[in-house]
Formats: sequence, C-alpha cells, structure tokens
Amino acid sequence: MSPVEIVLVYQSLLGIYGDRGNAMVLRQRLARRGIDATLTVVEPGDPLPATGAVYLLGGGEDAAQVSAVRALKADGHLFRALDDGAVLFAVCAGYQIVGETFTVGDNDDVIDGLGLLDVTTRRGPERAVGEVLSTWTKPDGTESLITGFENHGGFTYLGINARPLARMEIGIGNAGDGTDGAVQGRVLGIYPHGPILARNPELADHLLELALGRELDPLPDPELDELRRQRITAVRKAGLRR
Amino acid sequence: MPTTLSASAVPASLSRAERLRLWAAIRVGDAAALASRLAGRGSGASIRGQVLTRLAPDAFAQLLQGRRVLAVSGTNGKTTTTHLLAAAVRAGLGADAGRLVTNADGANLHYGIASALSQRPHADIAVIETDERVVSDMIAHARPEVLVLLNFSRDQLDRHHEIKALGRAWRVALEAAGTAGPVIVANASDPLVVWSAETAARTIWVETATTWNADGTLCPACGTVLRREETDGRDRWLCPGCGLAQPVASYRVEDDHIVLPGGTMVRPDLQVPGSFNVSNAACALAAAVEFGVPVPVALAGMHTVTAPAGRFATAYFGRTRARLLLAKNPAGWAEALPLATSDPVILAIDSVAADGKDVSWLWDVDYEQLVGRRVVCTGPRAQDLAVRLSYAGVEHEIEPDLRAALGERELPVDVIATYTPFQRLLKMAGLR
Ligand SMILES: [Zn+2]
Repeated sequence: MSPVEIVLVYQSLLGIYGDRGNAMVLRQRLARRGIDATLTVVEPGDPLPATGAVYLLGGGEDAAQVSAVRALKADGHLFRALDDGAVLFAVCAGYQIVGETFTVGDNDDVIDGLGLLDVTTRRGPERAVGEVLSTWTKPDGTESLITGFENHGGFTYLGINARPLARMEIGIGNAGDGTDGAVQGRVLGIYPHGPILARNPELADHLLELALGRELDPLPDPELDELRRQRITAVRKAGLRR
Repeated sequence: MPTTLSASAVPASLSRAERLRLWAAIRVGDAAALASRLAGRGSGASIRGQVLTRLAPDAFAQLLQGRRVLAVSGTNGKTTTTHLLAAAVRAGLGADAGRLVTNADGANLHYGIASALSQRPHADIAVIETDERVVSDMIAHARPEVLVLLNFSRDQLDRHHEIKALGRAWRVALEAAGTAGPVIVANASDPLVVWSAETAARTIWVETATTWNADGTLCPACGTVLRREETDGRDRWLCPGCGLAQPVASYRVEDDHIVLPGGTMVRPDLQVPGSFNVSNAACALAAAVEFGVPVPVALAGMHTVTAPAGRFATAYFGRTRARLLLAKNPAGWAEALPLATSDPVILAIDSVAADGKDVSWLWDVDYEQLVGRRVVCTGPRAQDLAVRLSYAGVEHEIEPDLRAALGERELPVDVIATYTPFQRLLKMAGLR
C-alpha cells in the first residue's frame, strides 16, 4: 500500500498561526499506529499533488487569502482530489476561503472563495480573539470537547448545504450564534487556528478515519490528556469573567 | 552627510504652565516609583511612567522636545540595538557622555520612554528604543534625526493582528514628515521594512544576515508572491508584480563582518553572541556614523555592551549557573535556539498579555533541532511545550515552577524564556 499523503497547502501564505502543527500531528498519529505516511508541503508556484488523503489550509492575512484562492483555482488539483474522496480541513482564514465569498481590506471587497463549503464570511462587528471551547458531536453520536484559540475579524454564516461542526461554549465561533465551523461532505472548516489538531486528537483521528475509510485504534497519551484538562479548566475559568 | 556630533539640540518651547505641570507630574511619578521600590516591587520605572503620563498626558512629546533623538524599532533586537547605538554615541561624545539619555530597561511604550526621559532633564541626546506601535508618534512628536528599522515578523498576533497595518502607519507618518523626517537606517533584506520606509526622504540601507523569511512571502505593496534570486552569490528578493525590490545596500553583513560603504570590511568585536547581533550592530553602526561618530570609535563603544537589559546575562540561582536568553516570537526563537547549547536546556513559556496569549507559535519554532538533548519545560504553559516536544521527538520533563526547574546543577545551563518568565528570572537573580 502506498503511504498516506498529508498535504500542507501554501504554508508560507496560510501558516501564520503555527498551522503546520496540524500536518505534523496527522502524520505522526498515523506513524505511531504503524501506518506509513508522508507529509507534502506545497508552496505557491508548485503544483499540488492530486493524490493526497488530507489537505490542510491554515490562517493568513488578507492579501495571502486572495493569492491562495487565485493559485488554488489555477492549479485545480485540490478540486480533483476532493472529487476522488480526499478530505479537506481548513482553519481560520483557510476556513473563510473554502466558502462561497469572503471580504478583505479596509473597504471590505467581496472575494469569491473556492466554493467548497456553503458558507459566506463578512466583517463582524468585533474581532473575535481568545481561547475557545466548543462541543463536537462525533459521527457515532458521542461528544468531544474542542479546545483552541480563535483570532478572526470575519463572521461566517452557514448556507443550507453546510451544517455546523461544533456547538460553542466559550468564544465567538462562526458569528456569535452559538456555533463554530462547518461540515459539508469531506470538507471541514473551523475558526480555532494553528495546531488545533494537537489539542484535539479525536478530531485529528476523525479526519484520518474519513480519509482512510476505516476506524483507527485509540492512542493513549496522558501528556495530551493533561494539556486538554489544563486548557479546558483555564478557558472555563476565564470564560466566567467574559 | 553625517551630522555634527557636538551640535546642541533646539531648546524645548514649553509654556510656563506646561513646564509646571510636567515638573509636578514628574515629582509625583518619582514618589510612586520610590514607594514601589521600597515595597520590593522592582525598579518602579513602569509605575513612574504611568503616573507621569496620567498627570501630564503630553509628557511623552514634551520630554522629547529639546533633545536630539535617535530611535530604534522593529520586532526583534530593539533592546540590544539600542544599547549598541547608545554605547557607540557615548563613545563618540567621550567626556560629554553625560549628554546622552536612553531607555536602557527596554520600556519602549509612551510611558516607559517618558519615565526614562524624566530622569535626565538636561541630557540633550536621546537614544530611544521605540515599540512598533509608537513609531508614528515618535516621528510626529520627536522629529528624530535618525530612525533605525530592524525587521518585521509575526509577533503576538492576538494583539497586533496584521503586522502590515503597522508598516502602513509608518509610511503615513514618514510621508507626513517629508524632508523634515528622520534619516532612516533600515534592513534592506526585509520586504516589509523596505515597503514601510519607502516614503522616507532619505534611507541608508543595511543588508543583514536575516534567516527568518516566513513573513516575507508576499509583496507588501501588491500582494504578489516575491521571488528570491541570487546575484553575485547574494540572495535578493524582488516582486514580479510591481517591481518593488531589495534596495542596494550601503552597509552589508557578511560572515559576521560588516562591509562599510567604501568596501572596507570590519569585524565588530561584540560581547553579545549570535550572527543576528552582528546585523543589529551593523544597523547601530550605520546610525552612529550618520550621527557623526567615526567607525572605530563606534565599534569600540559597541564592544562594551554585554547584557542589554539582562539579555544573554549569566546569572546564579543557588548553585546553578545559567545563561539567560529571551525569545518572544518564532523569529526570536530561530535566533536563540542555536545559542542554547547546554544539555539539558531549560525552556520557559508563559502566555499572559506581554508574552502573547496564544501559544500556537510553538508550532512555528523548529524545536526538532533539539533532538538528542534533554529539555526541561517550565512556566505556566510548560504542558503545551511538552506536547510540542513530543511531536518533535525531543526528550523532556515538565517542571512548571521556574525556580525548581533551575534546580541545583553542577553544569551551567542555558535558559530560553518568553517575556514574563525572563523578567522573573532577572528579578530572582537580582539583575533588575
Ligand atoms: Zn509588488
């Protein structure tokens, strides 16, 4: 069997918040289970592979968002890979650009996104900055807490074809409407940026299971459990003061 | 054309009422600082500045009046470069070194600058470390003669959001100042710095040995992906979209030497480590020469700088001898990590406002280079670092308490800390 390919898309444009951490986490969680995995880092100007299992988009500034959309449309391989069953996970600015439209600049110019998620993003009334906590209902119906850090000026509204990924407990999320993120088929987006998969191993494994089409054995990790315990406690304590 | 070092400043033109108010505010600020010192809460400089600017809101601008100002800004290296520049100018002044005032403690916001200046009313030459957010005000109110712009990289994005917005503010301020604006000494290797300084009347470019390029991917002017080309064996950046390109520099850093405008190579004999400090020294040297200090005199002055505001200081904690390194953002870590050679190495992470509340930057730092050595993770966010190190394959232990992490060690250790634990370490060691 050929190695499972994790593709980190345009790290230099969309990687401002430690987003490469998500790629490292996915690859290692496969490796720890003895599954052969490779990490492909693609920079603008180079073609994306069409063979990836999971594609990752991270956070970036306005100009980087516009450049990334232009380059991804010109390249085309991401769309083909998704048609072939790949998974796309996008955070922060990356989440905005996979939607229908988003805005950039002081004049809020409306930019066409990749159209892979039925969401639209517009400048919000306030910037959402801070540690967040939300609840994600897994495909088997059980729940998992998502801990992370959001930092975005856009508010994202879901259309009828997308459903929210998580229910907000603390933080702004999509648009202060009690939800965060969106799912549509094998495309998932959410606001907490950077190494969100490092802090939320169940979400990481969910992406891998979607891509592989099979269940993975659990990976016990007391160090990670302790980090989650600390962050969940801290955000709930701070959340009371918000 | 270099200015004359001995020239006096234009005296301040404050009204009698302004003078009285400022004087009274300084006295109250001094009293607050003294109270803070007596209570064992540090130097009191910060509380003095806060009280002073609350009682005299224009203190920052007023205290800068009547002085010849050299300012230093940028994301990383401000404090060290300010110390290097101050030492160079002091050497140039010789017996008149008392004319110089500087905010040596690294307090670089309005109130920190006001606090330092209030202590030396008669010093008419000011070398001022200036936070990136204060640069526009500095240009407008202080009319600095020279302004050093070091670099621009991602730093505490939970507060600054977009680094480009800061650069835009600098452009506006420099344009407004026009020919009365400062001579800029700027890092030609950093695209965002070049774009930010583009509106200045005159710029002296310094080509530095920058290793962190992750924030210079896109053209700041037009958003096109920048190209990097090698000409004459040297890496240069240029924009295929609008033509913005790396300017030809007057000063260059090459293999830890500084190439002067005439082509002469000098080796700065620095006591602060790392090739990034050679880049800082090159910028300080260019600024000092512009201010009228001869090159050998400036170099001799810079040689005296050892531990600017505690950076690179050697400190004792019980029996443990530790070298203290500060790293505030991924570019800073890229500089500090290769300097930390001890085994184990102690890494201290916090996430209060001064450190940046978001620790996602941990994943932008190449901790993989520590594989094979042991790390002691400490500080309130030690657990976040531990998980990062596990994914990097670096052996580590967790000791959240800073003092316990230092232990009682036979061999010297290197400590790299974010801002808050770094300040705590200095205090614990009696260095501030
Ligand atoms: Zn351009």
